[in-house]
Amino acid sequence: MITTISTNTVNKSTVNKSIVNEGQVLKGSSSRLNSGKNANEQTSQRSSKDIDVGTKKTPDYTKLATQLDAVKTDVKSKIGSEDAAYIRRVILAQRGCEWTGRILLMLGFIQPLLWVVGVLSLATAKILDNMEIGHNVMHGQYDWMNDKHINSKAYEWDIACDGSSWNRVHNYEHHTYTNIIGKDRDFGYGLLRLSNDFRWRVKNLWQFITYVMLSVMFQWGVSYHEMAAERVFFGKKKDNRKNQLSHAELKRRFFSKGARQLVKDYVLFPLLAGPFFLYVFTGNLVANLLRNLWTSTIIFCGHFTGDVQTFSAEDCVDETQGQWYYRQGLGSSNIKGGKLFHVLTGHLSFQIEHHLFPDIPARRYKEMAPQVQAIFKEHGMHYNTGGFFKQYASVLKRIVRYSFP
Amino acid sequence: MKALINKAAAVFFHHATWAGYWETVFQMVNPSWRDGYYQARVKSVSTLNATTVQLVLSPQKRWPKHTAGQHIALTIEVNGKLVTRVFTIASGQKSRQDEGNIRLVIRVKKDGALTPYLSALLSKTASKSASKVSVNISAPMGNFVMPKAALLDKLETSSLEQAAPEQIKPIVMIAGGSGITPFIAMLEGLNSASSDNLQSRPVHLLYFAKENEHLLTQELAEYKRLNTYFTYELLCRQKDGGVEQRLASHTDSHWMVCGPQSLYDEVANTHANLPPANDASLDSEHFAAFPVATAQTSGEKAFFSLSHNGSSLSVDNQQTLLTQLQQANRPVTYGCGMGICHQCQCVKKRGVVRDTRTGALSDNAEQLIQLCVSQAVTDLELQA
Ligand code: FES
Repeated sequence: MITTISTNTVNKSTVNKSIVNEGQVLKGSSSRLNSGKNANEQTSQRSSKDIDVGTKKTPDYTKLATQLDAVKTDVKSKIGSEDAAYIRRVILAQRGCEWTGRILLMLGFIQPLLWVVGVLSLATAKILDNMEIGHNVMHGQYDWMNDKHINSKAYEWDIACDGSSWNRVHNYEHHTYTNIIGKDRDFGYGLLRLSNDFRWRVKNLWQFITYVMLSVMFQWGVSYHEMAAERVFFGKKKDNRKNQLSHAELKRRFFSKGARQLVKDYVLFPLLAGPFFLYVFTGNLVANLLRNLWTSTIIFCGHFTGDVQTFSAEDCVDETQGQWYYRQGLGSSNIKGGKLFHVLTGHLSFQIEHHLFPDIPARRYKEMAPQVQAIFKEHGMHYNTGGFFKQYASVLKRIVRYSFP
Repeated sequence: MKALINKAAAVFFHHATWAGYWETVFQMVNPSWRDGYYQARVKSVSTLNATTVQLVLSPQKRWPKHTAGQHIALTIEVNGKLVTRVFTIASGQKSRQDEGNIRLVIRVKKDGALTPYLSALLSKTASKSASKVSVNISAPMGNFVMPKAALLDKLETSSLEQAAPEQIKPIVMIAGGSGITPFIAMLEGLNSASSDNLQSRPVHLLYFAKENEHLLTQELAEYKRLNTYFTYELLCRQKDGGVEQRLASHTDSHWMVCGPQSLYDEVANTHANLPPANDASLDSEHFAAFPVATAQTSGEKAFFSLSHNGSSLSVDNQQTLLTQLQQANRPVTYGCGMGICHQCQCVKKRGVVRDTRTGALSDNAEQLIQLCVSQAVTDLELQA
């Protein structure tokens, strides 16, 4: 069974608030924990947990599942030509931005401002391609259309990461085992320590810098992700991983997609521009950088805000649908914002809804959100949402907090 | 050249084809523009009887020429979703050449996927705006066509044109219900055939349908008037008995059958039971009559045949397809096993599956399914 810990018992004004799910640590394999000091902590946490059990009800999982299923069925029945037209419109906008961007980059010699607009336009195109189109289409949200190009099998995106590699790690591991420590490698990406579930190491001291680097290089991080976890290059492979592709194949795909991206962005397109080689080269570089920062920030805000909980593998054995929903709901956080903001995040600003209903077209999350929030409230579950700056600050705090033991 | 352009699309725009990259842009101007499909304008829609609709289409110029008897896949967008169905072209080459048209005869089922679209189209025709509507079609396919070679044994290799009239084997067409369509197309061709031999080849049509539900009877009468070598009977199985006795007097002919599975089985049986010294030969096109899935099929255990990447195995309706493919040691990719990750996705060419989560039944046509949450409800054809 999954247990919750209310954060009420912890001083809200301190970063300690972000200690998550101590109960899990207790129940989880204690081999992960340091002995000694932690043992004391455990005792104190246990007591706080015991108090909590009295005051806090565990949700009625069956009811939770029924209610959320109802929300899903209701929206599913509405999906149709509107959604098809929408995704086509977004693709159209993406093409528009991409070409405007690529052409303006070359006109930078007339007026540098044109170059700046070009970079922004190209970055927007890449963001649309990666988030609202790529991410969502590859989730299978539009597979019902039976379209030859707009479906999760055919789509490939403008990013260094091979689409099917991402599909394996993201759609399978991350969405199935969301925030289960040891199973969802997206939690901290194996680079950052974001909860007490992981033993503190010295390298965590400078993990804020690691985080900044990861954001800057985000597309390469995502791309390398599967290989890192499969220990393709270094380290020992963990036994509990069943891998579907050989290391050689993973390597081949990593390099082929990665190299293609590099050649395209930094050789071919600049060469096509002839005398404007440098304009295009730097333009692509900056556009990729902007895209990396944006996507990584949105994704961190969706998963690593202070209140997001983690779970242990033992808890999720024989999980029911209701428990699964519960875990998905508490493992994510939303960001408030306007219409355009949501589109640019690929509606991942509705991360909670996305994790509950990963294959509903993302533009529908907005109308589902109030219902989901009401259901969460009824079950006493925390619906983690806030403005961009509040959520982002919370992420940064978390990264800093867990830099220290 | 095309390969080069597509290579460029892959390198610069990470799309498999250039046309695919631009598709949505082209669709702004021409909504039915679709990479990999032909377009056809809807010329007219009319009802033939209570359950049958006639659709006249004008395919775009580059659509390849068809031979009478062939079929096409018709793809239309119904509420955002592309629905594809296969229909025989119920018209010959001549009307394509003269008027640029082909015709489809479509049986409308009460809750068929095309039905809402067709009825919307019907009401549009009433307001005269149908000519602005376009649909997507495939190239013509299939080889259920009039035999070209002379059919008497000794003449297997020589062509019909050179054969003496008495050496030509007569043709018997056996049609069931809407299975009349390929024959209508062939009959149109008979009158405009290139040689006397082709025109004077005796053709007899046995047309089975429910009482008063024979389609296109006026056209049949017209062909009979124009061509003295053509005869036909409109039959009703309850009244006129089975196929066997009708065929007894045609054992020297080439049989062609098009209709539901039951009709085909009967004809094939008759053919198999003929004495060996017989001259009858058989060609067929039977509707892989999509078995209608009924609610009760879910309860009792049943077995279906599954063709997976070309090789076939038997599956039941109790376990998911993923489990059964794994048990059979088929190479399948999968992840969560619970319908979340879409790793197990593959293309279902035809057949019906049940979604184990909702109990909902799928469509018959080609679509993507998730193996881990699908059970067989009919025979299936899958392609990973
Ligand atoms: S295995 Fe994950 S959806 Fe089927």
